[in-house]
Amino acid sequence: MSTTELLRMRMNQLVTQARYDLASLQAISDDTPERRIYLQRLWDTVTDMHVTSELLAVNAAASQVQPLGPLPGQVWNNVNGIQNASPGANSRTFTEAELAGYDGKNGRAAYVAVNGIVYDVTNNRTWAAATHFGLAAGKDHTAAFASCHAGQEAILAQLPVVGRLVQ
Amino acid sequence: MSGKKGVLPPEPMTNDAVAERLVRAARRSMDMGTFQKQNLVYLELNGCSGNIISLLNGRNPDFAYMVNSMVNLRYSNSLMAAEGAQATEKLFEALNEPFILAVEGAVSLRDEGMYNVIGMHERKPLTGLKAARMLGEKADTILAVGACATHGGVSAARPNPSESVGLQNVLPERKLIKLPGCPVNPRWFLGTLAHILLYGEPDTDRLGRPLMFYSTLIHDRCPRRPFFDKGIFAEKLGDPTCLFKLGCRGPVTRTDCPTKEWNSGVNWPIGANTPCIGCAQFGFPDAMEPFISYDTTRVIEDD
Repeated sequence: MSTTELLRMRMNQLVTQARYDLASLQAISDDTPERRIYLQRLWDTVTDMHVTSELLAVNAAASQVQPLGPLPGQVWNNVNGIQNASPGANSRTFTEAELAGYDGKNGRAAYVAVNGIVYDVTNNRTWAAATHFGLAAGKDHTAAFASCHAGQEAILAQLPVVGRLVQ
Repeated sequence: MSGKKGVLPPEPMTNDAVAERLVRAARRSMDMGTFQKQNLVYLELNGCSGNIISLLNGRNPDFAYMVNSMVNLRYSNSLMAAEGAQATEKLFEALNEPFILAVEGAVSLRDEGMYNVIGMHERKPLTGLKAARMLGEKADTILAVGACATHGGVSAARPNPSESVGLQNVLPERKLIKLPGCPVNPRWFLGTLAHILLYGEPDTDRLGRPLMFYSTLIHDRCPRRPFFDKGIFAEKLGDPTCLFKLGCRGPVTRTDCPTKEWNSGVNWPIGANTPCIGCAQFGFPDAMEPFISYDTTRVIEDD
C-alpha cells in the first residue's frame, strides 16, 4: 500500500470519527462532562485531520503523477475531495449499459455510480438485496446521493472503487 | 432516563437494578406531588387502527393501567362507549381542557379530506384533515403514532389514491414526537407517554424520534451479526444465518427490537427467521421494498 493510500485511509477514519462525535454531541443538549469529552476528542480529531491533509499535499507534490486527478488546488473542493480521489490507471470504464449489468441479481455483483465513479455495494450493509431506499443497483445515482447525503462524501470514501462511468 | 444524559459509565441493566430505579423514580415523583393524570385524545385517521390494537398488547404498564392511572382517555374511536354524534361531542368537549394528542393514521388531503370522514358535527361531515388541524393547534403535546402518522406510511404508499400525507405536513409549525413503526410497539408508545407524564418530553433525534427507543441500529444488536461479519448469509427463509442477502433492512433501521422484542418479549421478526422489513424507518413501505429477494448478489468467497 502506498503512503498516499495509507494517509487517505487515515483521513477517512478521522472524518468518520468526527461525524460520530458530531452526531453524539447533537444528542446531548446541555453542558455535561460527556459533552466536554466529545468536544475535546473532536478538537483532537480535527487537529489530526489538518496534519494528515498537509502530509497528503506533500505526498501529492512529490509523486507528480496525476493521470486522472483534478488540477492542483481543485483537489479539496471538488465533490470527490476526501474520497478515493480517482480510481487508479488500471481501473476499468463503464458505459451506462455496461453498468446496468451489475444489478446484484442472480449472483451478479452490485455496482452504483456517483459523480462519475463506480462503486461496489455488493456487500455494503445498507444495500440489502442490492436495493437501498427504493433505489436499485446498476445505475447512476448521482442526483439521489446529492439530495439525501449532501456533505456526506465520507460515505463514498468507505466503498471499494471499481472504475469510472463514461458516456 | 432524563437528567443524566448519555450512558458513560453504563448504569447496571439487570432486571433488579432497572426495577429499583423505576420504583425509586415513581416514589420520588409521587412524594413531590409532580405526577398528575393528564387528558389524552387518541385520534384515528386514515389507517387500519393497527396501533391501537398493538397498544392493547402492552405490558408493564398495560392498557388498563394506562387508562386508570396515567391518563384520562377523553376520546378514542375504537375504545370509547359513546357512538355517533355523542362521541363527536366528546371530541369537541376535550378541546376545552389541556390535553395530549396521539394521532394514528395518515391525513388524507384529497377533496378537502373527504376520503377520510371520522364523524358528523352539526350535520356536516368531520374530516380527518379538519380534526387533525383543529386538535393539533390546541394540543399541549402531539404524538404521531405509527408509520402513517409519522410520514404517510402504507396509506401514502404508491399510487396513494387518497393523497395521504404524514401529520407534520398539515401541522408544519408544531413539534411532533414521532413514533414510527407498523404497528408501533406498545412499549414505544406507553414508554413515551410515561416519560411525558413523569419528566416532560423525552430527548429526540433530529427526526423527532425518542432516543430511548430509536437510537440503536437493529444491525448493531442483532444476534445474527457475527454471521454478517463473517459473510455467512441465509439463502432462504428459515436459515439460521444472516438475512442480509434476502433483503433485511435491519442495517438501516433504528429500534430496540433485538433486545426487547415483541408480544411482551416473546419473539421478533428476525427471531422468527424472516428479514426485518424496516417498518420503523421513514419511507416505509415504498423505500423498504422489496421485502424479500431470492435472485440476489452472490456471496463473495475468499480466494
